[in-house]
Amino acid sequence: MAEVVGAVGVPHNPHFPRIVAQGGPMAEELARLYGEVTRHLRELAPDVLVFFTSDHYNIFFVESLPIFSIGVAESTYGPSDYRELAAYQIPIDSPLARRIQVHAVRSGFDVGMSQEFEIDHPVTVPLHFLTPRMDVPIVPVFVSGLMPPLPAARRCRALGATIRQALEQIPDNKRVVAVASGSFSLEIGGPRMSDTSHTGVPDPEWSERVVALLAAGKVDELVAEASEEQIGHAGNAGGELLDWIAMLGMFDPCPPAFLEAQHELGHAFAAWRVE
Amino acid sequence: MTIYAVNKVCYRVVHEPAFRQALRDNPAEALRGATPALSEEELAALLAGDVGRLSTMGANHFLLHQLGRFEVLGLDLPTYARRIRAAYPESAEVRRSWTSVP
Repeated sequence: MAEVVGAVGVPHNPHFPRIVAQGGPMAEELARLYGEVTRHLRELAPDVLVFFTSDHYNIFFVESLPIFSIGVAESTYGPSDYRELAAYQIPIDSPLARRIQVHAVRSGFDVGMSQEFEIDHPVTVPLHFLTPRMDVPIVPVFVSGLMPPLPAARRCRALGATIRQALEQIPDNKRVVAVASGSFSLEIGGPRMSDTSHTGVPDPEWSERVVALLAAGKVDELVAEASEEQIGHAGNAGGELLDWIAMLGMFDPCPPAFLEAQHELGHAFAAWRVE
Repeated sequence: MTIYAVNKVCYRVVHEPAFRQALRDNPAEALRGATPALSEEELAALLAGDVGRLSTMGANHFLLHQLGRFEVLGLDLPTYARRIRAAYPESAEVRRSWTSVP
């Protein structure tokens, strides 16, 4: 059977690749944080990454807006929204993605599928740091974390658990690592931006609370506290936490092997080893 | 009539370079050709770069900020941010303590 051997979570700020490439104090810190997560990921030696991401109004906005969808294409390309960033062709484990989607629907979790799409920066920026050779195929799982109404946190966790069950029924011996992409508190372009930028971190205390619960492996509490109201208070990108919660649904709760926050930016870097 | 027409203009600014250029060359013509059609109020606010008004009309902020990012309709990101802040003066005191993301 396919086995979940670990998980990682990282932010995806579209400016991070340039900041790291240019050097300087923040570059060193970011390189260290992405580096720590990458080290764990390499040691986990995944055959495939189940990648939880929230579309940033690029794939689904016009024609259809699924609350959950699994990308089942042979590969994808991007980022579609930041053409100035390094572009990547990213392989998708399409047979596995299709099996997961079929299992989910047949077991009562109605998740859609996406057969042709370009990916946006929430996927390419993490992979730029984690698997820059794009040599590990992904299964993209889209969680509608930005466009209200957002799915409930418990549904996102249940989605992760459903994918885990699907993997356990698959005869191939695949090592699977779950990936979550996103922030815990972040406002982009809205009235809760800072005084000096078009972005802001409206609720750093919530970011600290999320990180404390992650550190303690208290997923039940995190799901209970991640209400629509709390997520909305954390900013218009605060729903990216739902990608982390879906990721946490793929393994039994445990403390992470690595966890470090940048609370002033409303996000964290983390790795779990569940072998 | 919904704010969707405005949100879609912002979406197209990200994904359609030709539309982006048309907005710079002849914004009134580009916006009058948009589908679904914009209301006169939406059209006037867009042409004025009045993102504060569009915000209070219900436009999506993530999409709206793309007008500043791509520097159309007389906007850039600092101008965009200034106009949104001006539309929500009650947020100013709280906002001062908040950090910004690169």
